[in-house]
Amino acid sequence: MSAGRILTGRDVSVDTTVSCDVAVVGSGAGGSVLAERLTARGLRVVMLEEGGYWTRHSFDGREDHSYPRLYQEMGNRATDDQSVLILQGRSVGGGTTVNWCTSFRTPRRVLDHWRDHHGVKGLTEEALIPHWEVIEKRLHIAEWPLERMNENNRVLWDGCGKLGYSRGLIRRNVNNCANLGYCGLGCPLDAKMSMLVTLIPDAVEKGMTVHANASVRRLLIENRRVTGVEAQILDPETDRPTGIRLTVKARTVAVCGGAINSPALLLRSGLDGDGNVGKRFFIHPVVLTSALMPEPVVPWSGAPQSAYSHHFIERGTGKLGFFLEVPPTMPLIAASVFPGFGEQHQALMEQLPYTQTTIALCHDGLLPEDVGGTVKLRDPAERRVSIEYPLRPFHFEAFRAACKEMARIQFAAGAREVRSFHARPVRIQRAADVDAALDAAPWEAGRVRVATAHLMGGCAMGSDPRSSVVDSTLRYHGLDNLFVVDGSVFPTSLGVNPQETIYGVARWASQFVAAATA
Amino acid sequence: MDVPHPEPAPVGLSRRSLLRRGLVGGALLAAGGAGFLALRGGASVPLPADGLLVFSPAQFAVLDAVARRMVRPRTGWPTVDQVGVARAADRIAAMVEPSAQKELRQLLGLFENGLAGFLFGGRTRPFTRLDGEEQDRVLAEWRDSRVAVRRTGYAALRTLVLSGYYQSPSVWPAVGYPGPPGIFADAASQPEWRGGSEPRPDGNGVWHGERLP
Repeated sequence: MSAGRILTGRDVSVDTTVSCDVAVVGSGAGGSVLAERLTARGLRVVMLEEGGYWTRHSFDGREDHSYPRLYQEMGNRATDDQSVLILQGRSVGGGTTVNWCTSFRTPRRVLDHWRDHHGVKGLTEEALIPHWEVIEKRLHIAEWPLERMNENNRVLWDGCGKLGYSRGLIRRNVNNCANLGYCGLGCPLDAKMSMLVTLIPDAVEKGMTVHANASVRRLLIENRRVTGVEAQILDPETDRPTGIRLTVKARTVAVCGGAINSPALLLRSGLDGDGNVGKRFFIHPVVLTSALMPEPVVPWSGAPQSAYSHHFIERGTGKLGFFLEVPPTMPLIAASVFPGFGEQHQALMEQLPYTQTTIALCHDGLLPEDVGGTVKLRDPAERRVSIEYPLRPFHFEAFRAACKEMARIQFAAGAREVRSFHARPVRIQRAADVDAALDAAPWEAGRVRVATAHLMGGCAMGSDPRSSVVDSTLRYHGLDNLFVVDGSVFPTSLGVNPQETIYGVARWASQFVAAATA
Repeated sequence: MDVPHPEPAPVGLSRRSLLRRGLVGGALLAAGGAGFLALRGGASVPLPADGLLVFSPAQFAVLDAVARRMVRPRTGWPTVDQVGVARAADRIAAMVEPSAQKELRQLLGLFENGLAGFLFGGRTRPFTRLDGEEQDRVLAEWRDSRVAVRRTGYAALRTLVLSGYYQSPSVWPAVGYPGPPGIFADAASQPEWRGGSEPRPDGNGVWHGERLP
């Protein structure tokens, strides 16, 4: 088979219909791994991506350029009530183009939970290991050495060490990484082994065609079979619909748009999975504390994430566990999440080089009463979808506990002051004051900054069609040739950063998609 | 600005209806969009020479007033006027979906609106006619409101205005940020073009009017 191509909206100037074996909707972690496997089996694959095609040629390291081009809703995606900020990728390569390279295999206890509580069959650690081994080799996934850890991560590392909390070094998918710290704005060196520079080119060399700026609006369904997808071509310059339609006829369709866009596409196509589509939406809700350090930490520089702590991942019955990591901090994103306004806000911004921020990511979806959030359609003419993630008492219990632990860690590492991300910031000067100060703070939606970059669920897998959307082969219940292959199929959150789980699950599931297309 | 502000229950606006949909709820937006007291007698400010893309002159004046409270004059920092914050916010808003633009316009109307100000805080003068301290108090009222949709509105307005300021590279020195490393601009680090004498395709070429390298 001859090599395929990566096309943009500029290359489609009239209504066009193409045919293939498998249409893959989305070019992120799930879609890319799946597409590469199917292409390797000799199937003709067309991949559709609504974001643009941006490469290191166009990455310039500027926040004001990168968020609009590389993130959903220009980096401003949020829950309807604005209480949770959602950072999610949107370009060829999806989230992998802009993530912070953190690579964890799925914890066994999470896979066991899916088997025991959601009837997931066959998705075991043993089944995934061979896939992870191949992926880890291709993506150069390896532990980032302690001697290259930046000062930002060292605060978490040192603080955990001083307090006797468990800690670890993060494995990253990088090759010849220069430790710049700009992973979130697109790697200028192609050192990050994202899908953009690995499996997408691999598949294109074997014949896959990619359409960037192609926003799939609905699945075409006839007689209980999916026959293809219909996309709007977007203007690569303005991101607005051009009015040109791209129709891709396919024997099998794989929806790989992630935990927000995949359920939205199913809903737009009239598939609601008996009311389950868009439900069980989980986000690893994140709370933050920042520390004023005596020496510069230069929080925008160096590998963004290299230290972690899973010390609090299991906190006992009825409580959300959480895990701790460190985010890179650049001026524009810092300005939007640092609290307050006026002089108070400017004083915090002025200390940016000395400010270390730690994040706690809560492991949602395991408690029986935790049903997560909901993705719904707004007005059909709108491209934005409705995203709800109600924050409940068990979230706030975890948020408060997590902020206390992060503050203790930061003080142990030498912080002169620790600040919460409440709309009216809490400022703490001594470790001894942590509990009282944070107990007195308001723990309510919209009064404390909550964020997420990990979108999961919405098309939960499971054996019972009454409570899940896809079966254990990721096939939509009731439609033989429709699959969902991305983080949306997770019935709970993971308790670790999701990219490697998505790679493994997609590679594992490629056998079922291939079999359905034979 | 950190004094808590008890507020009367909003007249005739139930919390449920406020939370019903969108960036800010339907009933509240209806109040913001109503002609009665809305945007009447607000202050006007000079408009950008190249015009406005999303907001009306009155809405622009609200953005401008909010920007002046969000970012205070400070030694070594570019001013709100030097950055052109309200204009930048208008340009940012131009990139979002039309439905979201409509919500932002309604939010600014509501923020300025004397009726809504009266219902929530007992003030009748438009936001742009208040003095600086009073404006800070209104911002704090929205931020600390027990009505969730006002906190939502505060968050949206704050993000828009702060983005308009901090998107500017001229702010980098004030916050100690040196900008992206030189490797981004280093031609030697760019991908080798293997197309021979064919011109290199310009990738996405132009983005919102701006020519890319």
